[in-house]
Amino acid sequence: MNTAYLLVPLLLPLMGVPITLFMRKQRRMQSVTALVLMLASLGFSFGLLRTVQTTLEPVQFQLGLWQAPFGITLAADLLSVFMLIMTQLVLCAGLIYALGSTEKVVQYPTFYPLFLALSGGLSGAFITGDIFNLFVFAEIIVISGAALTAIADDKYGVEAAYKYFYISTLASVFFLMGVGSLYVAYGTLNYADLAARIAENPSAPLGLTGMAFLTATFLIKSATFPFHFWQPDFHAAAPTAVSAMLSSLVVKMGVYGFFRMTTLLFTTEADMLKTLLVVLGVVGVLYGGFGALGTHNAKRMLAYSTLAQIGFILVGIGWGTPLSLAAALVFTFNHAIIKAAMLMLAGAMASRAAVKSASFDVIVGVGKYHPFAGFLFLLGGMALAGIPPLNGFVSKLMIFWSGVEAAQYLPLAIIGVASIVTLVYIIRAFTRVWFESNPEVKPKQGDQLLAPTLLILLALILGVWSEPLVSIAQATAAWILEPGAYIATIMGGG
Amino acid sequence: MNLLTSLAVGILFAAGIYQILRRNVIRAAIGLVLLSNSVNLFLFSAGAYNGAAAAYSTATSQISDPLPQALVLTAIVISMGGFAFVLSLLYVISTRYKTSDSDEVKGLKN
Repeated sequence: MNTAYLLVPLLLPLMGVPITLFMRKQRRMQSVTALVLMLASLGFSFGLLRTVQTTLEPVQFQLGLWQAPFGITLAADLLSVFMLIMTQLVLCAGLIYALGSTEKVVQYPTFYPLFLALSGGLSGAFITGDIFNLFVFAEIIVISGAALTAIADDKYGVEAAYKYFYISTLASVFFLMGVGSLYVAYGTLNYADLAARIAENPSAPLGLTGMAFLTATFLIKSATFPFHFWQPDFHAAAPTAVSAMLSSLVVKMGVYGFFRMTTLLFTTEADMLKTLLVVLGVVGVLYGGFGALGTHNAKRMLAYSTLAQIGFILVGIGWGTPLSLAAALVFTFNHAIIKAAMLMLAGAMASRAAVKSASFDVIVGVGKYHPFAGFLFLLGGMALAGIPPLNGFVSKLMIFWSGVEAAQYLPLAIIGVASIVTLVYIIRAFTRVWFESNPEVKPKQGDQLLAPTLLILLALILGVWSEPLVSIAQATAAWILEPGAYIATIMGGG
Repeated sequence: MNLLTSLAVGILFAAGIYQILRRNVIRAAIGLVLLSNSVNLFLFSAGAYNGAAAAYSTATSQISDPLPQALVLTAIVISMGGFAFVLSLLYVISTRYKTSDSDEVKGLKN
């Protein structure tokens, strides 16, 4: 189906950037406008999901009405819409958190414009059908994310932003090299056209080089071991509302890249890539788990935990069966919700501490006056560790099930053991903040808990009533394993 | 010409990587520019030698591919924005830490 409707979820946040910039004198109006735009965008994304589900083919729009592959194609198949809804859901929660945040950074006139730029970049990255366009959106994400971290209340925000920006620029260099190599080899940038031409002639000169460069790019973007070193610093130093987005959504862009690479672009060479993903994923699960055990800062602990969770997703992509792909998708969705909620709770506790820091030495005992936040943190931690009846249980169950089905017992055993570690560090953090006594703690106003409450509620709902999410994920997995239909629709002009 | 371009890409890339690994943050920023320029040159060479005539002409000889030039143009603008951003970060870092040595900028290590 060919419709300009596809542009709406992308254009709403992007147009919001100049609109909110003009409102920089009226802070309240600026923040409310940003939230309204994101909520509208989310509504349109759900509309998009409905359209895709009823027409059973990708929605596409050729920018400038140039027929694919000559123009830039925007295309949303079920995978794109799935990621889009996840992104915008969590972004709305992030904006709600920013509305009730006591951090100085949300008073900054360009906070909401930058936040909307981040939203636009993420939405665009998921619905574009052109690999160079993906690069452009990735750059928007990088610059707005780095700028949001540089203005953080945390005095090391600038340093973290500097570090992240260097690494990301290197990733962008690799990305451009990959795009250039693929263009030399196949003479096109459109996903569908590229996929068709690669399937025709998998061993064109520079074709594999392009694949290697893209792999390196997405490994850096998704902060997979051994390209993770920037991630804990960056995610811990960012303002809470932003770090929740960075840790739950921005790394998913790399994950999305791997979904596309293994199922659409490089289907003939995918086995090599999949093996790499399983190995790096398993190492990431171990490393992230034990790294989180060794941290002294709640936000940093959650950032390490993201390493482990991304590892689970990569293992799911690496196994590449319909069930494991569906499991990886469900995991991606659930992790975004849980991790955003957990980081918000850690940030909310930090905002109530004597000194503003998420370090365990500072926030020890802060939970004394906030039992409700403790309850939410415990629920979120249970979801992270995969305990029923929360959504984390569904995603872990699906991953393990698909591993049994694919008879991958060694990686399964390792990630099974490593996932117990999650419970250890969550319980440790919980007891330190909510059960240890600290005479210096006084009741203090801090960031509002509405956003994490909503997210944890969603986690609970998706745990008890997981059928819709799982069935969409299974339909998506079935769909992306048949790239022929996608290619035919895009190239046929729909 | 092919050889010259590939040599230029290679040398620029090597020089960029070398500079990026230096401890002086200003040199590292210059390394970033070198790197992005080498990639731009690489992208440009991806379609530069496919035709002789300009893309907009009605010439009968094979027209050259305009797409890589459009890509390079976009990439140049983005890297310019990125470089400006890095310089502004460097300004803040140098006023805050009073140094241009990246080893001295280690607040996050604690």
